[in-house]
Amino acid sequence: MTAYIIRRLLQAIIILFIISIAVFLLLRSSGDPLATMGGRRTTRPEDRARLTRSLGLDKPIYLQYIYWLAGNDWAKFDADGDGTPEMQGTRKGVLRGDFGTSLVTRGKPAMEYIVERIPNTLLLMVPAEIFILIVSLAVGIYSALRQYTWIDQLVTTASFIGYSMPIFFVALASMYLFAVNFREWGLPYLPTVGMFDPKVGKTFSQVAWHMVLPIFSMSVVSISGYSRYARSQMLEVISQDYIRTAYAKGLSERMVLLGHALKNAAIPLVTLVGIDIPFLLGGAVVTETIFGWPGMGRLFVDHLMRFDTPVVMGILMIISFAVVVCQLITDLLYVWLDPRIRYN
Amino acid sequence: MFKKQVATLLAVLVVASLLLTACGGAETETAVPGTLEATAEPAEEKIITITWTQEPNTLSRAYSSMWYETVLSNVYMCWPWNYDENNEPYPFMLTEMPTVSEDGLTVTMHLRDDLVWSDGTPLTAEDFVFTYDMIMSPDNSVSTQYPYDMLAGIAAPDPQTVEMTFNEVFVPWLNTFWQGTLMPKHVLQPVFDAEGTIDAAEWNSAPTVGCGPFNFAAWESGSYIRFERNENFWGEPAILDVVVFQIVPDDAAQTAACLAGDADICYWPPYPDIPLFLDAGLEVLTEAGGYNEGWFFNMREMASPGVRDLNVRKAIAMALDREGNTALRENVVAVNETFWDAIPAYVSPDIEPWPYDPQAARQLLETSGWIDRDGDGIRENANGDKLTIKQANNTKEERVAYQALAQQQLLAVGIDLQTSAMESDILFDSFTADGPVATGDIDVFEASDVPYFPDPDTSYWMCDQVPTVDNPWGWNYYICDEYLDGLFAEQAQTIDQAARIEIFHEITKYMHDNVYYLGIWEDPDTWVVNPARVSGYKFSGVTPFFNINEWDIP
Repeated sequence: MTAYIIRRLLQAIIILFIISIAVFLLLRSSGDPLATMGGRRTTRPEDRARLTRSLGLDKPIYLQYIYWLAGNDWAKFDADGDGTPEMQGTRKGVLRGDFGTSLVTRGKPAMEYIVERIPNTLLLMVPAEIFILIVSLAVGIYSALRQYTWIDQLVTTASFIGYSMPIFFVALASMYLFAVNFREWGLPYLPTVGMFDPKVGKTFSQVAWHMVLPIFSMSVVSISGYSRYARSQMLEVISQDYIRTAYAKGLSERMVLLGHALKNAAIPLVTLVGIDIPFLLGGAVVTETIFGWPGMGRLFVDHLMRFDTPVVMGILMIISFAVVVCQLITDLLYVWLDPRIRYN
Repeated sequence: MFKKQVATLLAVLVVASLLLTACGGAETETAVPGTLEATAEPAEEKIITITWTQEPNTLSRAYSSMWYETVLSNVYMCWPWNYDENNEPYPFMLTEMPTVSEDGLTVTMHLRDDLVWSDGTPLTAEDFVFTYDMIMSPDNSVSTQYPYDMLAGIAAPDPQTVEMTFNEVFVPWLNTFWQGTLMPKHVLQPVFDAEGTIDAAEWNSAPTVGCGPFNFAAWESGSYIRFERNENFWGEPAILDVVVFQIVPDDAAQTAACLAGDADICYWPPYPDIPLFLDAGLEVLTEAGGYNEGWFFNMREMASPGVRDLNVRKAIAMALDREGNTALRENVVAVNETFWDAIPAYVSPDIEPWPYDPQAARQLLETSGWIDRDGDGIRENANGDKLTIKQANNTKEERVAYQALAQQQLLAVGIDLQTSAMESDILFDSFTADGPVATGDIDVFEASDVPYFPDPDTSYWMCDQVPTVDNPWGWNYYICDEYLDGLFAEQAQTIDQAARIEIFHEITKYMHDNVYYLGIWEDPDTWVVNPARVSGYKFSGVTPFFNINEWDIP
């Protein structure tokens, strides 16, 4: 097992390296970070030339990648455009923990942006994921144990409706219903946007209250999908011989379902959750945008739209790292869930 | 046992996240006194919330030309002169409006003697000189050096006098200089001396030392920017205690926030939502910000024969139901005739608006040889060239809807409008990168644009701005018309205001009659205000928050 983990970690380094090259090339080829620097006007040619030099965008892409990876404190640059390099580079590079500074704000380190947003994202995504898992399992199991009853049919119909609705629709519809209309009708209402009401302040209850609608919106779509997986897996497992044997041994239904059936039915869900967890770091772009939640999803989109390579690369590399690690953990969890699985 | 541990771990994680974010939020903000923790108490603060759909890149104007930042700078920074609700300039930091020497090469500003930064340090002419030096320094990657690169130099003969000297006459100085760009020398000089640049100065994202009626208090990226009353403000002190700009990137969510009362003021809401605001008893105000939406015609040699024919352009102007099409904006905006309609003094009074007259358009096309010879509904000229016009704009929903209307209306007179929509950075890419507008692959494009408002100057139609391999980012995508080029050059050197207005009357009439530009509609700034929550507000198109110190809560 140890050899397996070491082998996977070594593979991960190579994968991350390849990902970084591919993403960097894509980003630097797909847009012009200087295009929006003129504000409502096109960036002036004189400013374009000056900024291209000072931001290092005049270098060949391979050199820009090397500077991003290994830093540029060993090179000199021509800041004033007179053809003579006179300014010493200051970047240390990703390998030395420096993800560079944002092209958009110039001075702010990319990692500072990311560190600011990660707690907000986790705050929203972790409770959402837990809520989604608990409700999905409960609904899926309940539905499977009462297959083809009216309640199963109702859950199935509701799942299809929920799964068919785009999240932006759920988010906006719930915002208008529970915030705008409820207020108009004199009912208790929820807040529309942000993490807290500025007139009250950023208190525990304010933040929790502002999380309700975003979590609800994300949950509607995800629960619909996950509960279907849970139902079908449970149906498959409860028809297995070992479940019948467990009943024959005189075990209670609770013990059979929770002790035997659920554990085996959970393997496909573990795969799904294993894929989901790293993306929790990436946030939920649509939900965060609509509810004005300052998370990683919005950070990513905002900076991608401006082709801010250092920030976007930072986010993608963190997510890539999380994907690789979570996949490894998922594989190890299989062993615990199903002792028949061996990594030799 | 293991499950219990996992469950406990998850529960701890959730609670810890919640606590960390709620109580430790200030850690992710810029460390400034009096931030969120202070506001948690339900004090009787006069506080208003304004939604902001675009988050500024930085709060240093020199590092951002973004409109949402330019506007914001009025709150915490000071401009030497502001603009009132009629977009008329008036001295703000100055004892009088700047004076210009007879040769037009020197502009002198006399500062008030009671100016102080929010930390109590006197604000003097040296701060202006320092700001100029920082913007022009090659070590600072400011977003633009315009218009400071028009100066030969700047001097501070005494603490209250600033003298700007130009190499040549630069008429638009009044409407281009010092728009929130002023920097506190006593804060930034040590940074520049230590680091050789102010690119990474903390002041850029946390300008705790300012000179406006409010003082920067906190900025949580992606969430809000908070300003508190500047107790050292040298002007009339603000009545409100706190102004919060809440970042709400989604238009529909902004509308909901305003309707639900979570926001007191919304900026630039979607036009289709205006009836909702009015029904809810909110006030909708529009203020000319210089922008007009229009069709820009490419008449260079690579353009289609149709668009290069003046009669075709006139026919397009008459075949488009421009008035009727404002229904896309709930009929709350007027059709503009020129690029300069937001500054009407510069528009020729002799301009006759193009009428909506499809029949006249058909006749004009017939008499100029564009006839439907093969009966397919599209006209051809004598050479058999189809009257096909390639039109493009970015992917903004409203523009795409306008394309559909225009296509039908032009087809009704026999003009085939081939439309496309693409991202702005692709549409306006450089000549060498095969940008479709720069290379002339597009005959007409629609955009909302502005001269150096409220100054009428623009270099868009100057011959030296035609994009080429040598000048790939040139922005004259239209035509090199030497007569027009001469007029634009002349106005830029004309100090006498009346004479300059005359030149612009000639420019606007000439461009209108030759259909170099066709107005679609005025594009004013739109504000939605909850009158139950805010009073005393006025908005300007140049310095929207010019009287924010007079705002109150009713």
